Amino acid sequence: MKKSALFLGVSVIVAGCASMTSGPQAIDWNKIPATKVTLFYPGQSSYEWLRSEAHAGAAKETARGDACVSCHDDPKEEQRQGSKILRGNHPLEPTAIAGKKNGYVDLAVQAAYDDKNAYLRFQWKTQNPYPGTEHQYLRFDGKEWKVYGFPKLDKVVQEGRQPGIYEDRMSIMIDDGKVPGFAQQGCWLTCHDGQRDMPKQFTKEDVAANALLTALKKSDVRKYLPETRGNPSDWKTGKSVEEIARIKEAGRFVDLIQWRAHRSHAVGMADDGFVLEFRNGDAGKDMFSGNADSKTHQPKFMWDEKKVGYKSITADQLRKGDHFLIREQNAVPFDPNAGWKVGDMVPDYLISREDAKGSAAENNAVASWKDGMWTVVIVRPLGLANSDDKTLKAGGVYNVGFAVHDDNITTRGHQVSYVKTLGIGAKADITAVKLN
Amino acid sequence: MTKQHIHSIILSAAIAGLCLSTPAFAQVDAEEIFKENDCHKCHHPTKAKKGPSLAKIAAKYKEKKLDEKEAIKHMTAGKKVELDDGTKEDHKIIDTKDVAVQTAVAKWMLNR
Ligand code: HEC
Ligand code: HEC
Repeated sequence: MKKSALFLGVSVIVAGCASMTSGPQAIDWNKIPATKVTLFYPGQSSYEWLRSEAHAGAAKETARGDACVSCHDDPKEEQRQGSKILRGNHPLEPTAIAGKKNGYVDLAVQAAYDDKNAYLRFQWKTQNPYPGTEHQYLRFDGKEWKVYGFPKLDKVVQEGRQPGIYEDRMSIMIDDGKVPGFAQQGCWLTCHDGQRDMPKQFTKEDVAANALLTALKKSDVRKYLPETRGNPSDWKTGKSVEEIARIKEAGRFVDLIQWRAHRSHAVGMADDGFVLEFRNGDAGKDMFSGNADSKTHQPKFMWDEKKVGYKSITADQLRKGDHFLIREQNAVPFDPNAGWKVGDMVPDYLISREDAKGSAAENNAVASWKDGMWTVVIVRPLGLANSDDKTLKAGGVYNVGFAVHDDNITTRGHQVSYVKTLGIGAKADITAVKLN
Repeated sequence: MTKQHIHSIILSAAIAGLCLSTPAFAQVDAEEIFKENDCHKCHHPTKAKKGPSLAKIAAKYKEKKLDEKEAIKHMTAGKKVELDDGTKEDHKIIDTKDVAVQTAVAKWMLNR
């Protein structure tokens, strides 16, 4: 069973990378210098917390735009900060996740480029002795198909009513110097009170009453840049859609690329989004979509038994293979009369390289997990001209932030870096080396 | 091992000698306590940050013949400090009331 899924996984990567024969597999990474970047657990250190008296002795400096590392510059600062926040009883981490999670992650970063692409290689050790390639499922309870498996910050997991299941992720935020303050404060510009799993989390009523979010047809609050709000510290004060369009046109947004160990890795890709007034997806279509029918709540697709040997799995098979449901490879339309038993599970997401389209579908990735370590190479085309992308080009220097989501968690449950610079053949914290 | 580390080990050995009655402090690591208390976020070894550098503080204390008792006042009284821009702010208070530990931190600072 494991074999068949794996075999398919490899073949799609090869097919998808036909144009990359000179790509990541051909690069001798031993010759490319690695930069160690330490990421730390930020807890609820939002834009608003950082500017409050609780950030003792630093509120005023942060508000006026000082760089985080003008104070947080000890060689072991990130280790200390993450460990402190997760030690327990820290105001920035109110849940029982404290004590159960690594405070920091050492990320090795390498970069290279050729005429077509930038290649960004990341390596980090996972907390678990398995790769986080599973994502949530739809499980048959005898009557209905219900979501099974949730991220670890969710109450249902904390209270032991659901298992923690969520894909690992490696994310990069990119600014080309146009976003005010990003070079100094990086990802923390986008993280605010009111968002999911943050203090003063939004209510449905708040969102329904909000002009901007209703205009965007959104039902929750996610990352945003300060400039998109009348008062940056209040997510409710969104500017008009027209004003926000002007900010985007001027390029004052950040690119956000997420490599997802289930929903993009299965088809050799990384997703592509951008943060402006919301954490938006790029135009076109993502490589993943929900597999639950919005009306019947039944799955739309199941595994093709002829190809993989099963229609569904059960919980005892978790972590024993790559359980990817890939539209063009191993999926068939769901059959409601297939004799389903209590406990049968089908992935909650359908993945497809063929269906991914447009600006959302331009990042590729090749990844493997071995001996407790992920190695992920993200392939980003140079010279992208889409209005929702940051254009990487030779000679350019960019401000970047990195984050890893490890051990079945989402939202704030990541380890994050202070802002770094990435130079494409130009001197920076991380310099991409030209390939011959 | 960094120079600072060697220093703090020598120091904590010295303190251990002084504190026979409180063997719990035989392992005081002044640098660690300094950093656990976030002091390093404002006091860099050589660079001026929000607070003066350790080198500058040490030099001033030497010149004015001040000792660790004066330094302890700064870390325990929560007195107003004046910043570069002329505004005032309460100084950070160290999270221990143990004079032996405070003395170790003060000595460590003044030996930079
Ligand atoms: C002027 C110096 C200064 C600046 C600038 C600054 N900080 Fe801090 N930060 C501090 C100090 C001092 C503390 C400890 C506060 C306390 O608890 O007494 C702290 C605490 C923190 C903590 C809590 C964990 C810990 O280390 O105690 C986080 C997280 C944090 N800062 C993140 C940031 C981020 C992110 C930025 C940039 C957006 C930033 N800081 C900018 C000085 C600064
Ligand atoms: C938020 C920034 C900040 C933090 C955190 C901080 N200090 Fe200070 N500290 C200052 C400033 C500013 C001064 C300068 C006061 C002055 O010149 O009047 C100062 C002065 C001092 C002095 C006196 C220097 C002199 O000239 O007499 C000592 C000693 C000292 N700090 C120790 C500490 C210790 C120990 C800690 C940790 C418990 C600490 N500081 C944390 C900002 C800070």
